[in-house]
Amino acid sequence: MAYKMNRRGIVKGIAASTLAVPFINLRAATAQSGPIPIGVVTPLSGPVQLIGNFVRHGAEIGAAHVNDNGGINGRPIELVFRDSKANPNDASVAARELVGSGTNLQLGTISSAVALAMGPLLESEGGVVITTGAGTEKINHENYNPHVFRVGDSPVSRNAGLVRHIVESRPDLRKWGGIIPDHEYGRTTWKIFEATMRKAVPEMTGEEAEIAEPILVPYGSGDYRNYIAQAMRMDVQGIYTSVYGGDAVTLYQQAKPFGLFDKIDVLLDSANEFLVATAMGDQTPAHWSGFHWYYEANKGNPLSDDLYAKYVEATGDTYPMGWAAEAHAAVLAYAGAIEKAGSTETDDVIAGLKGLRFDSATGERHIRAEDNQAVKNAELAYIEPSSTAPAGFEVTDYVSLDGEKVVEPARPGQMLDTSNL
Amino acid sequence: MIDYRARFRINLAIALCGLAVFAIVPFVANSGLVFLAGLVAINIVFGLCWNFLFSGAGLLSFGHAMFFAAGAYGMAVVSLRMPELPFFLGLAFGSACGALIAMIFGYIALRRASGVYFAVLTLAFSELIHIYITKTTFLGRNDGLVGIPRPTIDLGPWVLDLTSATSYYYFIIVAMTIAAFALWCFQNSPAGRLIQAIRQDPLRTAFLGAGIRGWQLTAFVVSGTIAAFCGAVMVPFTQIASPEIAVWTVSTQPILFTLLGGAGHFWGPAVGAILFGAIAYGTRAMQGLSDITVSVLLLTVVLLIPGGLLGLWQRRRRKAGGRQPGQAGDDARPGTAAGKVEARQ
Repeated sequence: MAYKMNRRGIVKGIAASTLAVPFINLRAATAQSGPIPIGVVTPLSGPVQLIGNFVRHGAEIGAAHVNDNGGINGRPIELVFRDSKANPNDASVAARELVGSGTNLQLGTISSAVALAMGPLLESEGGVVITTGAGTEKINHENYNPHVFRVGDSPVSRNAGLVRHIVESRPDLRKWGGIIPDHEYGRTTWKIFEATMRKAVPEMTGEEAEIAEPILVPYGSGDYRNYIAQAMRMDVQGIYTSVYGGDAVTLYQQAKPFGLFDKIDVLLDSANEFLVATAMGDQTPAHWSGFHWYYEANKGNPLSDDLYAKYVEATGDTYPMGWAAEAHAAVLAYAGAIEKAGSTETDDVIAGLKGLRFDSATGERHIRAEDNQAVKNAELAYIEPSSTAPAGFEVTDYVSLDGEKVVEPARPGQMLDTSNL
Repeated sequence: MIDYRARFRINLAIALCGLAVFAIVPFVANSGLVFLAGLVAINIVFGLCWNFLFSGAGLLSFGHAMFFAAGAYGMAVVSLRMPELPFFLGLAFGSACGALIAMIFGYIALRRASGVYFAVLTLAFSELIHIYITKTTFLGRNDGLVGIPRPTIDLGPWVLDLTSATSYYYFIIVAMTIAAFALWCFQNSPAGRLIQAIRQDPLRTAFLGAGIRGWQLTAFVVSGTIAAFCGAVMVPFTQIASPEIAVWTVSTQPILFTLLGGAGHFWGPAVGAILFGAIAYGTRAMQGLSDITVSVLLLTVVLLIPGGLLGLWQRRRRKAGGRQPGQAGDDARPGTAAGKVEARQ
């Protein structure tokens, strides 16, 4: 059979070969020199992008800090970003693709469902992930996996701390209700809230707490009015909510005309930090919110001051939120672990992270070797609407609770024992 | 006279060539890319079964995610809750879940609606399945089911170890080749041709004695079963079944594959799925660019080359060969996307 070469054929061949080059990405060499890649798999689009952006900036500032100080054993950090869309499927695809191309060290998970999916996945693929805000207690309890670390506060230290602080400052409040996302994170937070409240109120006042059944609301719904009407019927003095992100803003905005927040004495918000306040300005209801990192509470800590200054410089936003500090801490934790282990291999880094003590924007953190959970202080702030503050709201009170006192005992592989809270 | 034997040989060769190309991937690409190639292989068959319903039976489904999710969750439940059952039973159970849903919803939808109303009904049913999953504790509610193990299959004298991602990848590409070619065989069988005849002219076909709704329901169930099979095969690969695979955006994927590749060609969705996967991979580090690229490409294809990429290729080939357009159009249909090109099934 005769085969004729012609100009078009050659051009087509060259074009096809050029197109194929990016895909013929030969097996990643495990280089022991050059930059250390760290994958950041976090929501960079969709409804949770707002939080993902904090993770992105925090990781970038953390990497810049390490690189400016000579890198890790002389090697700089190189961040590789992937969009998880807060969706376990997309996150797992991105995580596998990164491990496959040699990026075995990852961070950025903020969704509980994604964090739970990462353990078995990275164990089989040979990677490690540090979550930067995932709130499920299962990752350091019944679903504990040595390949998943949490450098942030555990849901127990955050929520039990919040409850104990409120019970101590307002012992007169006995009747509580909750608006909870029907999600892994929501159910976790409610379980901790209820158990701590049932224990702390009798301890403080000698009387039982009255806790109504929580109202479970769907994730990503644009209309919460039916649930708000249900909440209006509750006979309660305080409401606890762990609805987060854009959902929380929608919920709070829709609850305002109902007068829900006028009806109650205290609103406890598990984790929204300034998310609701920056969206609602002077319409923000007064509330206590848990924080991963509140910069005012850490003034004088050079890492915190540097993170705040660089964040404001990069974005122009003067209200950075705690996810930035968690991603920042995750990068610093990797730097510490790699230095300690002298290697970037997965097993060595896991060994390095276990028991690691390192400085962060919230002070020293310690990663427990038993369950990969960091011990750090829990921070809370009271946000009120303000007619004088330029943003329409201001922080009028804040507390920082000692992490050792509020964190639960390590019980890897076992369910959370709420009797210890 | 159509030479079905020649067509059989050509399409078998296409399927085997596709298998060979996918089989080479682990030798030239890293494991991350192999993982994506496995997903593309699954998407190819997912697109093919949707297009079988659309171009073959003339039924537009906006709810194929429900079948995909049914298969995925069926397999996940068997793997996690009943690990003693054999792997192939899990696959069969997952596929049967899709078949059952297709039978129930197809029976209702085909009795009451056709055309766009049928499409909207499938979308509603799909959303129903999504909500059911998110509200069912047994199915992991919003968090889904994680940690689904990959199987080790005992075949008597041999043990097939599919626990590694690469060995499971080979299982996927073989399973998907068989599914794709089985679908081609069905579409070109007497039953498949009768279904295509119903699409072309239901009244005339009914006059010949065919039960229209029965055959349309058959097509719906076949398509749903294969979509569920795709979901069931995928789950041990990704090791997670989350409610996101039941949302409407997943239902749009086979439509996109088909529009890109060409609705009037059996292998059109395969071309679309590969292109879609390549764009997603090429733009993976550029957040948001993937969606924009796909949208622009889709607009370009729909507006400038309505027959999809295979339609364009076919037209160019004819032009080069000096043939007149329409000469080989044996089952083009006016008024539909599939009918705007000549369908070479």
